[in-house]
Amino acid sequence: MFRRPNLYTSYETETQVLPTFTKKVIAVFAVIALFLMPFDFPIISGPTELPILRSIPLIGDGLPFFRFLGDAAWLRYMSDAMIIVIAALGLNILTGMAGQVSLGHAFFLGVGAYTGAFLGGHATDSVYGHGLPMWIWLPGAGVGAALVGIIVSPVAVRLRGLYLAIVTLGLVFLGIHMGNTDWGRKFAGDPSLGRSFPEMDVRVWKEETPLVSISEKGSWFGVEMSSNQKEFLFVAVVMLVFIFFAVNIKRTRTGRALQAIRDRDIAAEVMGVAEFKYKLIAFATSSFFAGVAGALYASHIGKMPAAQFNLILSIEFIAILLIGGAGTVAGTIMGSFFVILLPELVKDFSDWLADRAEGEGIVATVSEVILSGNQGDFGPISTATQTPNYPLSIYDLNIVLYGVLIIVFLIFEPLGLYGIWVKVRNYWKRWPFSY
Amino acid sequence: MKKVTKGFAPLVALALVAAACGGDDAADEPADAPAAADEPADEPAAADEPADEPADEPADEPADEPAEEPAEEPAELLFDYGVSDDTIRVGMNADLSGPFASLVSQIVEGQEVYWEMVNEMGGVAGREVELVILDNAYDVPTHLANYEEMRVEDESGVVFFTESTGSPHTAATVDMLAEDNLLAIPLTWYSGWADPDLGANVVEINANYCIESMNGVEYLADTFDAETIAIVSLAGEYGQDGASGAKLAAEALGLEIVYDGEGAIAGGDQTPIVTELVAAQPDIVWMTTTPTTFAEIFGGSVAQGLQAQWSGNNPTYSYLLLNTALADALSAYYTQSGYTALWGQNDSEGMALVVSEMQKRRPDAIFSDSYIRGFLEAMTAHQILEAAADAGDISRAGILEAFQSAEIDFMGLAPNQTWSGDPNDYIVRETYLYDIDASNFTPDATVSDNDGGTGNVLVAGPYAGSAAEAYVWDGPCFVAG
Repeated sequence: MFRRPNLYTSYETETQVLPTFTKKVIAVFAVIALFLMPFDFPIISGPTELPILRSIPLIGDGLPFFRFLGDAAWLRYMSDAMIIVIAALGLNILTGMAGQVSLGHAFFLGVGAYTGAFLGGHATDSVYGHGLPMWIWLPGAGVGAALVGIIVSPVAVRLRGLYLAIVTLGLVFLGIHMGNTDWGRKFAGDPSLGRSFPEMDVRVWKEETPLVSISEKGSWFGVEMSSNQKEFLFVAVVMLVFIFFAVNIKRTRTGRALQAIRDRDIAAEVMGVAEFKYKLIAFATSSFFAGVAGALYASHIGKMPAAQFNLILSIEFIAILLIGGAGTVAGTIMGSFFVILLPELVKDFSDWLADRAEGEGIVATVSEVILSGNQGDFGPISTATQTPNYPLSIYDLNIVLYGVLIIVFLIFEPLGLYGIWVKVRNYWKRWPFSY
Repeated sequence: MKKVTKGFAPLVALALVAAACGGDDAADEPADAPAAADEPADEPAAADEPADEPADEPADEPADEPAEEPAEEPAELLFDYGVSDDTIRVGMNADLSGPFASLVSQIVEGQEVYWEMVNEMGGVAGREVELVILDNAYDVPTHLANYEEMRVEDESGVVFFTESTGSPHTAATVDMLAEDNLLAIPLTWYSGWADPDLGANVVEINANYCIESMNGVEYLADTFDAETIAIVSLAGEYGQDGASGAKLAAEALGLEIVYDGEGAIAGGDQTPIVTELVAAQPDIVWMTTTPTTFAEIFGGSVAQGLQAQWSGNNPTYSYLLLNTALADALSAYYTQSGYTALWGQNDSEGMALVVSEMQKRRPDAIFSDSYIRGFLEAMTAHQILEAAADAGDISRAGILEAFQSAEIDFMGLAPNQTWSGDPNDYIVRETYLYDIDASNFTPDATVSDNDGGTGNVLVAGPYAGSAAEAYVWDGPCFVAG
């Protein structure tokens, strides 16, 4: 059962999706936890009633991290995060694996969202829509984005590094501009109100009542579920499919070719890797992931304007790769959850601290030092409702945190969260001789 | 691997710079909250006063709200979510940390003061009103998550959203509002909210952008004998709704449109628009944009010698611009348009109430007109809740029903309002116009300074021009596509 670490006796075992027993166990538990997450468990969700936990000073009255599960608002953030995982895996293939830096990922999400809306949305006087079922619009969104990716990819063959980044950066602005033109509005709707996106419902064709309704509350297998729980489970399944796909790409001829191009494109070509072909594949695959994620994201939000697919979103993806660890699937997943959930954790945690500012003890002191509830209070982070921007609002704090984290990770841990994980793992692997 | 990450550093720096340059709304609230060192809202002040309250209150009160309390029969009252035996929970999904935080937090503060007053007088239906305030940071996903927290179908839900900041944010919740029988008061004045398809559960207070433009253009044309007009706006529901109204008025009044810049404000560079405006030499300019872009276009045109009279939809202008070098030009050329009476600009009961309550409960709050908006939102919710309680049903459905026949009395702060029947019978056609007088602007004043001012001097209002009176609503003035 337990083998020597890093000893592989055949090529097959080395290239398994989950090469070690520990990884298999972790994967199984992660999947089980994921599917249990949307359901309410008394111990973990909300202020607990259990006397044992109640007696622990911090956890007892609901430390923000512990009211995670089953909470409707948190379920929405988790679903958002899982959709972002899909998109970030796409960028990981392009940037992490093939080394083609792209700041235009938000653009491909947008293309996916509006392809999905064009195929699956409902037409009104002002916007297009064909009301097709999800099995067409969801993959269709991916294919639409992939086609646009293919059109863009020849540029990547001519340009490299910073120059490619500038070109892809341009795509984001081009996309928002197109959404504002009279022509683009037929797809995107009003520039500030947006259009309605198709709902996540399983239909065979355009029938009135869906075969399986995901966007309406109802019972599944005898369990009464809200639309949030259903959407969470659906998104989780889609995410797992894409994770599997992303892990597998790395094990194929294509994956090895992409990594060869990343490490040195000229050397790769000399060895017979067709650069044009593989860069095209990288762009198409990456855009496909982004397109599907974009359509899911739009559908999950329901209605939003084109300007939501902006540069900030693109930068979030770069932050995900850098913080998570570029080039690794596990790192990308960790980075996505970290970057998407961080603002909410910071906000919840500040609220939690602010609630305790009046009390006594360590928590109150910490809160006193960090937060400024009133004007003129000491403390860099403002929780006041009056003049909330001074000195630093929680919204600003989150933006500052992105920047700081990117810098810190680039300097101290280029492998990101994944690198930290590897270090922790190695420490325990060699324990008690880990020096 | 190393190579990849190394290459990132300059890229990320570049991207962040680019993001900052492309900045939109974030920069639109000009240097607000002049960092006064005041302490807000000290409770002792309120605690001092309970003695003279009973004597004070009824005098400047409308009298009808408190008088109804004893008649309630709480035992008979129907209710479902967000209500318990002693509290009614009212929600606010407000931008408290995003680009509109300084404006919205003052609206929230106005509401807090109003509900404190209501609770002191016995609450609604014998229950205390509890405000649930969540921060959406002007972000759609966060707004939706907050919505989930407040829609909950038990005591921890809310019965009403007395503030829902943001057009895209509110639009994204429209289907859920209908599903949950919840009402929301948005911070937008789009003419499309009167459309039952879009806004059946959206409580739009005051006139809309389109009508505001008609009145503004007509007032300027009459006052300054104008023959030509230029129209400049942002793209989208706000900008183009405003621009459409201005065009309707220009057509009705026979003004020649010498420059049509509907939706022309798109990027960060406004020089092409300034050039066009100066070349067109209009008599009046109507703008629908944000204070930052307005300042650029207005400042640029005035500097190049354009002598026109300007006005625009609210919030094109912000009184904080009087802190800038534009103050003199604004005094000379700008007329401010708005939906309501502004602080101290009329002697209605409502104005006396806002001023006295703010002075009593938040004596150190920064001087601003936004508290009035907070009062209007809270008054709307309060009167709808009272009507529902009178009908014996403060369930979400009962409140929705009360809304459909409610008549809101703003006590002279704004034209009274109802939402029953055909939109043409109820849409508000009156707006207010203010001359700008920089000498009347007191940047450091608090609400307690009786001679504080925001530089606005009422010149007309409630004002409804002939174009707005004759206007027939048959759908939003502007629909994209």
